Order: sequence, then structure tokens, then C-alpha cells
Amino acid sequence: MNIMKSTFASLLVGGVALASTAAFAGDIRVGITMRMVSENGQKYGQMMMDEIKAINDSGGINGNMIKATLMNDECKSDKGVANANKLIFQEKVHMLIGSTCSSVSLPIVDVTAKAGVAQLIPHSTNAKITQKGSEWVFRVPVSGRYYGGVNAKYVGDNIGKKIAYICAADAASVNDCAAMQGQIKKQFGAEPAYIANVQEKEVDFRSHMQKIKSMNVDGIMVAALAETMARALMQSYEAGIGADVRRIGSSSASNAPVPRIAGDAVKGVFFTAAYAAADQRPIAKLFNAMVKEKYGIHAPDHDFSQAYDLVRIMEQALKSTDLGLDSASLKADRTAIRDAIAGVKNYEGLASGPISFCAAPTPQCRDGNRTAVLIGYTKGGENFETEVLARVTMPIEFGLE
Amino acid sequence: MDFDYNSLMAFIIFGVTIGVVYGIVALGISLIYSGLDIVHFAHGEMYMFGAFFGLVLANNVGLPYPVALIGAMILTAILGMFVERVFYRRLTSAGGGYTVAGMGMIICGFGMSVALVNVAYFIWGAEAEPFRANLDYIPRLQFAGDIEVPESYVLTAVISVVLMAALHYFLRHTKMGLAVRAVAHNKDIAYLMGINVPLMISLIFGLSCALAAAAGVLIGPMQSVQVEMGYLMLMKAFAAAVVGGFGSLPGAILGGIMVGIFENLGAAYISPSHKDIYAFLLLILVLMFRPSGLFGIEAKVKA
Repeated sequence: MNIMKSTFASLLVGGVALASTAAFAGDIRVGITMRMVSENGQKYGQMMMDEIKAINDSGGINGNMIKATLMNDECKSDKGVANANKLIFQEKVHMLIGSTCSSVSLPIVDVTAKAGVAQLIPHSTNAKITQKGSEWVFRVPVSGRYYGGVNAKYVGDNIGKKIAYICAADAASVNDCAAMQGQIKKQFGAEPAYIANVQEKEVDFRSHMQKIKSMNVDGIMVAALAETMARALMQSYEAGIGADVRRIGSSSASNAPVPRIAGDAVKGVFFTAAYAAADQRPIAKLFNAMVKEKYGIHAPDHDFSQAYDLVRIMEQALKSTDLGLDSASLKADRTAIRDAIAGVKNYEGLASGPISFCAAPTPQCRDGNRTAVLIGYTKGGENFETEVLARVTMPIEFGLE
Repeated sequence: MDFDYNSLMAFIIFGVTIGVVYGIVALGISLIYSGLDIVHFAHGEMYMFGAFFGLVLANNVGLPYPVALIGAMILTAILGMFVERVFYRRLTSAGGGYTVAGMGMIICGFGMSVALVNVAYFIWGAEAEPFRANLDYIPRLQFAGDIEVPESYVLTAVISVVLMAALHYFLRHTKMGLAVRAVAHNKDIAYLMGINVPLMISLIFGLSCALAAAAGVLIGPMQSVQVEMGYLMLMKAFAAAVVGGFGSLPGAILGGIMVGIFENLGAAYISPSHKDIYAFLLLILVLMFRPSGLFGIEAKVKA
């Protein structure tokens, strides 16, 4: 009886071990966590999955399939961290992609650093993300430290130095606002004319706009997530602040809900981003056409372009690795993927400039894209239009002094 | 900020325009409370649904803004009556206030709030929607000292005053209004007087929800419309209702205006970044010195 029991137990343990090994073998597991509460978010999440499927359909990575798990963090840090933990410790992913919100990407940096999993960020601009010193984090988008410099230079040279700031409480906007204020002060010696720190989803800006109106400022910077920014822009006109006072957007001005909600109030607003739909390069035109046809998006913003670029960078990096892809090699595979991403040099895709990474866990090595494109809205509404005002590549050390 | 008389007047005027909106939502909350002895925690969602109904009628159907406003009020009134009849009736007929049914009603209100938000997510999604209203035919008000009040604010103030006056007329000068007041005063005696109490309760719910819808449609063009818009409005309207005295209709309006002015002045002269706190500071102050609110009845006992 005892022999039977121990034989059965051995078979059971062996079976479970075999089954779990089989489940882990062969596939490159990629976890994705990003904000997908809006139609835009859902569609670029879908685009990412479609691009990964296209890689698999054309033979995969060195014969191995990519198994991607997409999760929605709703731009909430607690959900993002929970997703990251689930993907890393339960799904045992080889690498993590995410998030698209700085306030979510920031805490996930600690999770991936502790677990030893490469984190490739599709869209988060807060400069602190790469300043934490993690060996595992790589940023595809342009860092806020570069955006601030480009915005400040353009504003100081072309608009004026008396600037009012409306800064929402989300991590990206806080960073964008601080970077702009710091650069205006550094480059032109000007202090902010007015600063209002508002809630992430503020709905009523009328008190601020009345105060700003009485100050005769040269420009108003609105650093906020898309919907909040749109409301602020509309209410600035309602308050009677004329079009001669230029409106400056943070990087989320690139998101389609801004012109859609703000309508005519978005005309003349300019901002820095990592991709312009008005880009005349053939690759950009093809991308615009593909996104319009497949996802019904009028003009893709840099969330779309960065998601696309990220998949290409991941593909390039994974192809250069030799992965074991079994449970025993998980740690080594994760490290190999990190090193492969660090080896990506001068990737040229849709982004405003070439993307390069290197091994040191510093912002210089991990902020991949240093080129910001300055974009202005020429028309608002569903069928909004933009123009490229300038394209500026910043020195690698910029904003770190 | 340096003191400037014109700025002060501008802040007060803008405070009044948003305050009357708080007031008409608070009016609905107070109306339900005075009629049914319950606090309706899903009222913010009625405000949100009203705003979406207005948006659909104006933007998608293409109705003129005033027609969309009336249409949204009617649709939301129907929704409110449906919710009352199907979900709340068992509890409200068992009593409100400090009874078990009254507590059940509060919990049911919370549940209804969550359910309605999710229904709205399902229908309209999470993104904010722009409410395009052509208000060019409404003049901007120009006050002395270069104070200019935009069209949407003028319209908000005018419509709010008209709605309040209409409600006052209905309650005070019509037979049905008298019946509503009778039900609010004592349901049992109202029954004995031959009043159709369940119908009047449905009417109270419908009216209250229509008022919330009007507020939503008025706010829509200023702040856009989104699923999560109800929560903060509910909080402000509660503050207004409590400041004015829960159950008091004139108190709800006055409370709303006070909340609007107080938060605008606080934002202007203390810190605009903490604008939402001032309404609740006012609430605490009023509760400390006059717990029943400015127009509340000191010894009203609910059962």
C-alpha cells in the first residue's frame, strides 16, 4: 500500500513538474500593461497585439513564438503594480512592456528592478523614471527633460517670458511643468507669472483663468492629461483670454481627445512630442494610412507611433538573443533580453529621432530618443490638423545638470 | 494676489453661476428627502445621465440646445421614475429615515450609483465627450470694471432661476403640487385624503431627476461630459443641501449659491489648487454653529 502511495505521489509531482515545464517551454512571454480606458488606448493596445501576431505569423523570433499578455492598468499606479507583479511572478514573463502613464511606470520600475525583468516603456515622459538607476528600464519615448528644454527655447524666443502655468497632479504633467519652469528660468531668467497646481481630473478652471486674464501674460502652459487639458483650453477662451495669449500644451496635447474635445480652442496650441502625424516621411505616411484603415484613427499620435516602434525594437533585440526558454533558463533569458535591448543602436522608425540604448543604468543610456518635434494645431475637432514647427535634437546630458 | 474690486466681483459672479447649478441638484436631493425621508446617493448619476441625454440629443440628433435640455429632462425624469418604481419602491414603501428600510435605501442608492456608472461606461465609454452648444444668440453680460460673463454662464444662471421659479409655482400654486406637499408632510394622512401616494412619489423622483438633468446639460458645454462627472457634483450638492438645511427647498438654492461663492473666493484668495475643499469647510462651519443648516427645521424627527 505504502509503495503504491509513494509511486502515485511521485507520478503526481513528476506530472505537475512536466506539465509546468511544457507550459513554459518554447514561447517568449511578454507582459504588457498600459492605459486602455479610452478608445485611443484600446486601439493602440490592439495594434501592439496585432504587430506581435504579425511577427508570429511570419515565423516568430528565431523560430519561437511571442506569447503576449495585455493588461489594462487604467493609468492607476496600484493597478499597474498589481499587473506587473502578476505578469512577472505568475505569468513568468521574459520582459515587461509598460506603462503609458508616468505615474504607473514609475512604481513599476521598482518591481522590475527587484525581479530582474527588462521593462520597455512605450510612453511615459517623467524624467525620474530613468533616474532611479535601474539596470532593467528602457524608455522609448522622449524624456520630459528634453521636452522642457525645447518648449522653453521656443517660448522664450518667439512668445515671451511672462508665462502662467496650470499643472495637473499626474506625474507626467508635474514633470513637464517643472521642466518648463526650470528651463525658462535657466535660459531667460524669468520666474513663472502664475502657477496653479490642480487635480488630475479638474473640471473647473474659471478662477484660474480670471486671475490669469488680469495678469496680461504672454502665454499659458497647460500641463495635464488630455481631457483635463481640453477643458482648460476651452475655459481659457470662455474667460475672455484672447488668441494673442499663446497656449502651450504638455506632451499629452498630442493625444486625439485634446483637439476632439477642445474644438476651436485647440487652434494655435503647440507642444512637443515624439511623432507628428503631419510628418512627410514615407514611413510616416504609410503608418498614418495603416492606422486609419485598420483602426479608424484620423491621425495617430505619438502613443501609437511609440507603441509601434517599441514592437520593432523588441523584435530587433529578441532576434539577437539566444534564449533557452524553459523554466530553468528564465533568469538567464531575462538578463539576455535586457542586454540585447541595451545593444539597440540608432533604431530609426517613426520616432522623431533615432533611438539608442546602452548598458549603464543612467538616463544618458536609457532615455532612448533625444529628438523632440514641436507641433502646432492648425484646426480642431474630429478632423484636426497639425503642422511641424521645429525638430530639435538635444544634447545627451541636457536636463541632468 | 493683490486685492482688486473688479476681480472680487468677477469671482462672486462666477461663484453664483456655478452655485445655482449646485443649487438645482441640491434642490432635487432635498425634494426627495423631504418627500421620502431618504438620501438619494445615486443622484450624481442622474445628473451624469441627464448630461449624456442632452449631448446625444444636441450633438447626435441635432436638436437645438434648449430643446435638447427639455428632452434630457424628460428622459431623465422617466429614468428616475423607472428606477424608483422598479428598484426603490419596496424600500420606500416600508419607510425611510432611521428605519431598517431607510438604511437599506441608502445602501441601495450606493449600489444604484455604481450600477448606473457602469451602464453609462457600457453605452458611452470612458472618454470625455465635447458638448457643442451653439449659444451665439445669447449675449455676453458686460459689467462695470471690464467684467465679462460668457454666454454659457448667463444661460446657466437664467435657466436655473426659471427652473426654480417653475418648481416653486408647481408646488405652491397647483393641485398636484399640493398633493406632493401633502405626501411630503405625511404619507398616511395623504392616503386617507385620497391622494395617489405612489404616483406622487414617482413624480417627486421624476422631478428631482429632471432638475439634475438640467444641471448636467447646463454644465456640459463648459466642462464636457463624462461618466465620472456625477461624484463631485453629488458631493457639492450635498454640501449645498446641508448648508441650506436638508429638506428645505429655498435652503438648497441658497446653500448652492453660498458653496459656489465660497469655493470661488477660496480658490482666488487662498489657494486655487484646493478648490474642492472650501465647499466642505463651509459645510463643517455651518454644522458646527447651526447643525440643522441655515433653513433647516431644528426638531424635525424622521421616522
